[in-house]
Amino acid sequence: MTPLPAWSAPFAARTPMDPGLLVPSAALAGIGLLLVGSATRADPGSVFVQRQAFSVCLGLALMWLVSRSEPRVLRAYVPVVYLLGIAGLVAVLTPLGRTVNGSQAWIVLGPGLGFQPSEFAKVATILALAGVLGGRGDSGRPGGRAVLLALALTAAPVLLIAMEPDFGTALVFCAVTIGMITLSGARMRWLAGLAALSGLGLVLMWRLALLRPYQLRRLSVLLDPEADPLGSGYHATQARIAVGSGEVFGTGLFRGGQTAGHFVPEQHTDFIFTVAGEELGFLGAASIVLLVTLLLLRGLWITASSASSYGTVLAGGVICWLAFQAFVNMGMTIGIVPITGLPLPFVSYGGSAIVAAFAAVGLLDAVNRTREAVP
Amino acid sequence: MAFVLSLFAGRLIQLQGLDSKVLQAKAALQRVQPETLPARRGSITDVSGKQLAVTDDAREIYVDPADVTPAARDEIATTLALELNLRKEDIAAKLAKTTQRYIVVARNIDPPRANKIMNYQFKGVGTKATYRRSYPGDTLAGGLIGFVGFDGHGLSGIEQTYDKVLAGQDGKQSVEIGGDGQRIPMTRTSRQAPVPGRDVRLTIDRDIQYAAQEAIAKQVRASDARSGSVIVMDIKTGQIVAMANAPEVDLNDWQSAPEADWGNRAVSEVFEPGSTNKVITAAGAIESGAVTPETVFRVPDHITCADREISDAHPHAPEPLTFTGIIAESSNVGTIMAARQITDQRLYNMFRSFGFGAKSGAGVPGEEEGLLPAYQDWSGSQRCTIAYGQGISVTALQMASVYQTIANGGVRITPSIIAGTTDEQGHFVAAAAPKQTRVVSQTTAEGIAGMLEAAVGHDGTGTAASIDGYRVAGKTGTAMRYDEKCKGYCGYTATFVGFTPADAPRLVALAVIQDPKNGHYGGEVAAPVFKDVMTFALKSRKIPPTGTKAPHVVLRAGG
Repeated sequence: MTPLPAWSAPFAARTPMDPGLLVPSAALAGIGLLLVGSATRADPGSVFVQRQAFSVCLGLALMWLVSRSEPRVLRAYVPVVYLLGIAGLVAVLTPLGRTVNGSQAWIVLGPGLGFQPSEFAKVATILALAGVLGGRGDSGRPGGRAVLLALALTAAPVLLIAMEPDFGTALVFCAVTIGMITLSGARMRWLAGLAALSGLGLVLMWRLALLRPYQLRRLSVLLDPEADPLGSGYHATQARIAVGSGEVFGTGLFRGGQTAGHFVPEQHTDFIFTVAGEELGFLGAASIVLLVTLLLLRGLWITASSASSYGTVLAGGVICWLAFQAFVNMGMTIGIVPITGLPLPFVSYGGSAIVAAFAAVGLLDAVNRTREAVP
Repeated sequence: MAFVLSLFAGRLIQLQGLDSKVLQAKAALQRVQPETLPARRGSITDVSGKQLAVTDDAREIYVDPADVTPAARDEIATTLALELNLRKEDIAAKLAKTTQRYIVVARNIDPPRANKIMNYQFKGVGTKATYRRSYPGDTLAGGLIGFVGFDGHGLSGIEQTYDKVLAGQDGKQSVEIGGDGQRIPMTRTSRQAPVPGRDVRLTIDRDIQYAAQEAIAKQVRASDARSGSVIVMDIKTGQIVAMANAPEVDLNDWQSAPEADWGNRAVSEVFEPGSTNKVITAAGAIESGAVTPETVFRVPDHITCADREISDAHPHAPEPLTFTGIIAESSNVGTIMAARQITDQRLYNMFRSFGFGAKSGAGVPGEEEGLLPAYQDWSGSQRCTIAYGQGISVTALQMASVYQTIANGGVRITPSIIAGTTDEQGHFVAAAAPKQTRVVSQTTAEGIAGMLEAAVGHDGTGTAASIDGYRVAGKTGTAMRYDEKCKGYCGYTATFVGFTPADAPRLVALAVIQDPKNGHYGGEVAAPVFKDVMTFALKSRKIPPTGTKAPHVVLRAGG
């Protein structure tokens, strides 16, 4: 290994952040601020926008810091970061945790000051998996032990999050892990085994009735939300009504009747896309899809062009995370996928998610900046 | 990636392009809630503007079961049951219907009471501003005024007939309601203000109405009768001053009253009038010039009419009675003898002119026409019995109108019950002046008035109707009463109708009592009611005695 300058080196300052990452993520956050403002405008005295703005600033700062870092230096801290992430997930299950919408997923430190350990665990786990899967130097391909270790490292947060319970977030981890193992170049038999394992898991969940009744109903209302428009189909029905009533140009920001009426529950968090749909119309909604896509394409390019397998796997993990979460979120809003409690990265209200997403973009930039370097 | 993108684009185009109109309509449907702004119903007042039916502010108490937590149900049910005097189980049952969002628990609640309930701040319990119809007089003119149903619209009486005037026009408002059931702030609402209803002023005088109602109720009880009615009319205007029935419905609790008592018997109940009808026979006979009040008939106590023998109420030897004497003593035989001086057609036309067989024209709700068979259809005995008021049927108002006509010098003034209404600005607009028609000549009318005064004199049948200091003219009636239940004549109809002062008539009053069991003669059962009501009415109207004396009239030739 060639010694490299410390990550605070002046070298960093000379390279600005990659606009392909900065512009779409900042634009999404900006749209998010407007939409959160609109979604919560009927609550007089609410400070959602102010807090979201604070989170965005914090996120941008963290992104900048992370992007200046040297991935391989960072790598030394991965075990600490990972253990902190797991500690957070354990802590949330203790009486420290606060239950919101049925999931014990928050740790509240004081009034208005809380966070979601699972968001940081996403970053921590991706870093840990990258360390395990992408660290084998020139052989380029992780061995069986590495894959098993990766699975074990994923299993811990997945199980802890499943206990909250937060099914959607646990799925993000699964998607990220599968994506990263695939990108790491692991042997086909591992991938096949993984696929078989996933299939088995699904069958087991079904047979052992591990799925809760509401989750089954969400699957069935995906096909026909009108079957129970006031019950389990309510979210889906209302989301479609809100998005649909926006038409091409939307009702205009702050002018959506459905948004004002709070018909869609959680419209400032998980269902923020309905506000875009109603108030900004097809143009606005499609723009968000486009911005997400631009960010992901840039990320994919970075993934592909990284010379180190560590960088590839790390960037790939981030992309899998953001892609899965963004498309599941928007998909559930417009009735393509079942309803799962996942925020839309950069856009939904939620400090932990915002900061974590920006940190992830910072990681992408760091990988991008060092893509030439051969580990 | 391209596949995912086109999937999203396709779905967005489907929702926001192809289905957008449908979804938009759904959005409007669930957000924009039309709301009715009820118009305040106009009042019904007596002739001087005293309230008979008023509309007060009230509250409707409702629950939104979906908004009530199961844990709170018991407390809410207990409290509401206590405050509203309802059964706790009923409220609990309503609270259990969690799929509904609006269930009415109680209507017509006083605002302070509703506020007290709202002060408990129960989630899922609300109030809505409504109006409540109330009747300060309870039973006062109940059958005439009528009542309203749950929807606030009239179901009977004036409330029903004049519903269009009273109801006004409900307003409309559409409000944007959010998913939580609250109004969305700063949304535009369209509003069409309600037009308040107009007031209806009756010709009724509340005080005289009350006296009439008390008097008839007392006598119906005392005589153990089925029912009774009293009408007081102003002779110069044809206005109905009082129209009372017994039993009378309590308008504030009409649901508890038997349906038979909901109507206004004074216009809805038809009966065979009996001897009060003799004035029309007399008017026909005198108007034709065939007889005068002084014409003497030799009257036996029975007479043969086709296949029937008709007798007087009391047996007597044949006696020479003047026509006045015949009316004063209410001889059926004598009346038939007088009626035979004119043709059936003439008699029939006289009934018609006095208003029989047709509605009075007063527009009193629920009015019947009575039954006046065409003269061609009269049977041999019917042409005799009709002369003294059997074989035809009338309403109390029709008969009162006959005496108004006689008292008014032979000019019939169409009775009226509506003094006027208020216009949109609240100004009083008097009803159109009633139609006046001459039925008999002044001379005829005055002749009959004299005969009627004699009927109340010391040899007449109506002495119980005499009022100290006043000259009273009137006629008793004791008719056999047709009863469907016994498919024939069972019991009697006792009537007295007269006017005061006899020489300068101001008021006419009629009392009719159906099926009395303690006594049955009109002079015995109905005349005291007339006396009570008329005495009160004269005082109330400040009508002084004329100070004249009744002329001496000859009832018996040579007697």
